[in-house]
Amino acid sequence: MASISLRKLVKKFGELTVIPDLDLEIPDREFVVLVGPSGCGKSTLLRILAGLETIDGGEVMIGEERVNGVPAAKRDIAMVFQDYALYPHMTVRQNMAFALENKGADKAEIERRITEASRLLDIGDYLDRRPKALSGGQRQRVAMGRAIVRDPKVFLFDEPLSNLDAKLRAAVRAEIKALAQKIRTTMVFVTHDQIEAMTMADRIVVMKAGVIQQVGKPEEIYERPVNMFVAGFIGSPAMNFFPVTVEGDDLRLQTGDTVPGHAVPGFATLSAGQDRQIVLGIRPEHLDGAGEGKGEGVPITVDLVEPLGSDTLIHFTLGDVAAIARVSPDLRLAPGDRVSLVPAPGKARLFDAESGKAIQ
Amino acid sequence: MEKKNEARLELASLSLPAMIYTIAMIGFPFIYTIWMSFHATTAAQQLVFNGLGNYSHLVSDGEFWHGLVVTFYLYFLSLALQLFFGTYLALLLFRSKRLPGIVRSLFISPFLIPGVVTGMMWLVILDPSLGAANYVLTSLGLPASDWLASPTWVVPTIAIIDTWQWAPYVALIVLGGLQSLPPSVYEAAEIDGASRRKVLFRITLPLLLPTIMTATILRSVDLLRFFDLIYITTQGGPANASDTLNIYGFRVGFEFFQFGYASALMVTLSVIVLGAVLILNQLRNAVAW
Repeated sequence: MASISLRKLVKKFGELTVIPDLDLEIPDREFVVLVGPSGCGKSTLLRILAGLETIDGGEVMIGEERVNGVPAAKRDIAMVFQDYALYPHMTVRQNMAFALENKGADKAEIERRITEASRLLDIGDYLDRRPKALSGGQRQRVAMGRAIVRDPKVFLFDEPLSNLDAKLRAAVRAEIKALAQKIRTTMVFVTHDQIEAMTMADRIVVMKAGVIQQVGKPEEIYERPVNMFVAGFIGSPAMNFFPVTVEGDDLRLQTGDTVPGHAVPGFATLSAGQDRQIVLGIRPEHLDGAGEGKGEGVPITVDLVEPLGSDTLIHFTLGDVAAIARVSPDLRLAPGDRVSLVPAPGKARLFDAESGKAIQ
Repeated sequence: MEKKNEARLELASLSLPAMIYTIAMIGFPFIYTIWMSFHATTAAQQLVFNGLGNYSHLVSDGEFWHGLVVTFYLYFLSLALQLFFGTYLALLLFRSKRLPGIVRSLFISPFLIPGVVTGMMWLVILDPSLGAANYVLTSLGLPASDWLASPTWVVPTIAIIDTWQWAPYVALIVLGGLQSLPPSVYEAAEIDGASRRKVLFRITLPLLLPTIMTATILRSVDLLRFFDLIYITTQGGPANASDTLNIYGFRVGFEFFQFGYASALMVTLSVIVLGAVLILNQLRNAVAW
């Protein structure tokens, strides 16, 4: 168990700077998820923590120890890889014992830890099998078992669910979360899947191009994204963005329709007629379908319907913006239908179109 | 139904040239050799059927057993040397990624040289009075030797020459295996605190075993049928110290003109090669991961 702190971290690959200047504090026993699109530097950051990548500036602390230049083996961390990286020629038991043998642990201790970990992960039945005789989900668990037996200060997960099918991914996601609650160790989990981030994290770190965009609890990131990137990245389907202008007490959309300003946080800070380009961000689930002719709301024409069972996604175009609303399946909408959409009060966000930053 | 027949006809016509080639170039000589092995050659060079006569002669033929021993001695010695140095060379080449391509190519070029040329080249190198080998040895204060004329040293010497030529081939195969090993496994080993030595012996070499077995199979087929290099350098001598089964069979056929018996020897050798390949194949499956 240990806290992690990264200070003024710089990482370059040759001429290319992938992490320009990064600070991050992860308290002891926290489950942190690094999330961002491909190439945002999240995996590099994890590999820096692991000691698999060197840094070009700054400081990496694990607990009280400065680990710049400390080899991976001496950092007391464990890592679960995307492709599991199990030793294919060793049995599950040998895979789990390998690190302990290298540390010089005695046989009885190794056996005790393997038994304990295999009970925790329910892999006791195939300790003598080789990885190729296991399913993807079983390999995943063995990879975690290999990490657990070492009783490390920090667990690192590098997109460990991306090789699993959707159903299994949900199951393993829950398993990892349950495990994290049981063993309460600092965990850093990298993913590009915002659902994994939302469901598992104590705190989420959203990254883009090597720069941390926002750090916060899942609900914080979801409800109060600091910029359009975070707002668009977290949440599925993604938040809709409509260009608007301020007109009196209202926000005017490209189509001429208006949304009452009092329903939108941050509206009070705006003044009418200013040049500033403003974007109204509304999540699909915060648009209520009111049915045709209810007067209130913004009228739209349904382009496409995606029934999900519990909800229905309707695609529509407002001005030149393609958008999505998540509405009740009871509305029984079909392409071509007209419907009025009402933004849920207090849920929409305003952004500065130029900087992308949220207007609080 | 008609369409199916048409497709079959097309398939047959397309594969016919290959089938004719296989039958004419492989099947016929092979079956003819088996047929000959049941015949004796008369003084008038006539083939007469004598059943299993050649095979029963073979069992009591001291030269055959001697050939078998020499064949396996040379086989195991060469194979061990070639696997060891081939794997070693592959690991070196894999580590030295900065080495220019041309140098890497030079390292692995010996097996491109025809066996006859290799033999001639080494005859010069090993020449007892003019050769470079003895010059180097005597410069180092070691005794000179006529390597290919010594009944004790002739087989190891041939094994070394063959290793010079074929270890790079093994290296090429093993290098391919090394390049396809999963990098994340090495990172896992790094995190697991494995020393370089442990990584080599517990991770790299076990993971390379299937590749090394493939190289073993390919080299086994050649080594059990060892011929050209011996024929150029010693012709089976001195006395019959390097007389492998293949060389012995050649002499029986083309020096003594006993084609029937020579055929029986070659059929036996073929069975040995086939058996070795089958066994090694099983072993390769056993070490696959």
